[in-house]
Amino acid sequence: MTAEVSGERAADSKWAVEIHGLVKRFGENVAVNGVDLLVPRGCAFGYLGPNGAGKTTLIRVVLGLTHADAGTMSLLGFPVPAQRDVALARVGAIVDEPRFHGHLTGRQNLQLLAAAREPAARGRIEPSLERVGILHRADDRVSKYSMGMRQRLGVAACLIGDPELLILDEPMNGLDPAGMQEMREMILSLVAEGRTVVLSSHLLDEVERTCDAVAIVDRGQVIRQGSISDLLAGSSVALQVECSEPDRARALLETTAIGADVNASELGLGISLPSGTSREIIAEVNRILVDGGISVYRLQQVQASLESWFLQVTSRLGAPQ
Amino acid sequence: MTITSDLGAPAPAPRPAIATGHGDRRGSWLPTGAMITTRIMELRRRRGLMASLILVNVGIPTIFLTIRLLLHAFDPSSYGPAGGYNVFTGLVAGVMYVFGFIVAATLGCTAGSIDLTEGMFRHLVVTGRSRLALYLARIPAGLAIVAPLVAIGFTVVCAVCVVAAPTRINYGGASVPAGLTQTGFQTWAADHPDQAICDLPYNQPITVNPPCGPGPGGGGPVRKGPAPAGGQPSSPAALQAQAVQIAAHDYSGYKALFLYPSDSLMIKTGLWIELEAAIGLIVGLGLGSLLGQRTVAVILMIVLEVILTPILSRAHLPHLSNLQRSVVGLATAHLEPGGLPLPFGGGGGGGGGGNPVNRILSESTTVAVCVIIAWLVVWSVVGAWRMMTRDA
Repeated sequence: MTAEVSGERAADSKWAVEIHGLVKRFGENVAVNGVDLLVPRGCAFGYLGPNGAGKTTLIRVVLGLTHADAGTMSLLGFPVPAQRDVALARVGAIVDEPRFHGHLTGRQNLQLLAAAREPAARGRIEPSLERVGILHRADDRVSKYSMGMRQRLGVAACLIGDPELLILDEPMNGLDPAGMQEMREMILSLVAEGRTVVLSSHLLDEVERTCDAVAIVDRGQVIRQGSISDLLAGSSVALQVECSEPDRARALLETTAIGADVNASELGLGISLPSGTSREIIAEVNRILVDGGISVYRLQQVQASLESWFLQVTSRLGAPQ
Repeated sequence: MTITSDLGAPAPAPRPAIATGHGDRRGSWLPTGAMITTRIMELRRRRGLMASLILVNVGIPTIFLTIRLLLHAFDPSSYGPAGGYNVFTGLVAGVMYVFGFIVAATLGCTAGSIDLTEGMFRHLVVTGRSRLALYLARIPAGLAIVAPLVAIGFTVVCAVCVVAAPTRINYGGASVPAGLTQTGFQTWAADHPDQAICDLPYNQPITVNPPCGPGPGGGGPVRKGPAPAGGQPSSPAALQAQAVQIAAHDYSGYKALFLYPSDSLMIKTGLWIELEAAIGLIVGLGLGSLLGQRTVAVILMIVLEVILTPILSRAHLPHLSNLQRSVVGLATAHLEPGGLPLPFGGGGGGGGGGNPVNRILSESTTVAVCVIIAWLVVWSVVGAWRMMTRDA
């Protein structure tokens, strides 16, 4: 009866991960500082941050690998740590570098983990190994595996639990370009099956290609979260202009009221306009330059990338904080 | 400041519910059979550890006995039988007891720490399985490895010691048939007065001139009390009477000698060394889990068994005697079956020569049992607590 009620609760929850005011300290160092995070179900969610931002610490807290100092959490609607065992029965995770018993084969390592899960997990070992592409090496000792193969084995270890939620911490580490593409496709296929994938990474390009939504963490705090398209839409508009007399062109634009941030170089101008700038304003930029006697050879709007946006919003750009 | 934007949560894609609940007692502290069998598999695959376990528990006794069998087969006059009571007691109390404890402790320390040091612990924790169950699964798994190995080694020792036992008892240098009654022993002495008078232990004055020499100052063997003056050889009847008198005096000592260990002694001894190995395993498991690494834990266990326990068992520290009694090695020594020599190198008690346990600090059997139970419980609690509270 209790299990049924819990199951209903989990199904009703629209968030795969729900965190409010989470704090984790290591002595004086606050690794996670009042984080609020909402991960929708059924999507690939990127959890981004520079090295040391607190990404792995937050994952470890959520999974019960270490305790929180404050805050509330739930996974798939189950409060953690109160119903941690019920929640984790539906979760698969890789935390940090995937390490296994080197003296055992990949298959034996999975048997060890499957034994700690539900009885059906043992039957998922073969399909999981096949899905991550290491079935042919399943009977080799893990000490002979490359880093990329251990990453794949880590994903297989997640899959034997048939999880609704996968939390993958830097799963692309150690993978070659083909392996990264396979991992990307696998993540997308997992999402297509209705699972939620939380992808912690500092590989912005991979996250942008894989994820629907992201959260940016820096210095222990989530500073932005939302869908990638929404977040990029809110970033500034960049223009690249090739023209004659760049310095005079810059002076011209700075006297106008369009609010442009202009950098001049030998090749032309780099112009940054406030977010939400309309196409008419871009045309106005061109008109000002031409009316001022500047020859405009090329004017191009530069597509904002997650990387440029990430650098804008994190403390890695601009003055030290 | 935390800046958040509202995320629109898409409707969850249809997905069959995960079948948890049936047969999945994940929050239970009881380990499942699968957890135990896979843990056995994990430990068995550690080749170095298993090799040392097999070598100590089976290999050393087997090699030792094989060499004795070969030597006796090729040169029986120089080398005695491979088996027998004394070989049994020496091997069990001198080798299997101490080294069995150490290798079992090594296995326990490994089982208690290796998931952590090899990075597997967090994988196991993320399964949602109770950490207590993860800990408890290691106890039956370790015992399932150690207990059969100890049993195999012990069976080899018992088999050789019984099959290759001597046919006669060596008592003070005299070769005596085994299993005689007092009358039979005295009859044997009357039939072999020279051996009885010259070889059997006897410190009373004798009334005959011993055939083996006059005793002190006479240039012969010095084994008996002073013989009467005069150089006349004693009559056969006088020698027989003296031999019977010596046999009657020595019968209690003779009675305690055996050609090979009795069934009862073998069973008790087997259980005793299994207990010692189990203690080593469980204490080592707790210590390994507490420290989170194997090497230091193993060193501490060796120090406990080889250095601390022998010292604390024999030292007389008037104000610390109760503390000494709390040492688990002392407690297990008090449970040692009678007739075995004192463990951890005490020696001298074998062959029925009194009760060796009397030479160590006294302790009642009840106290000894309580001390052992306390060690098992406390170290299990400490190890489990550390595993449950440790950051993974």
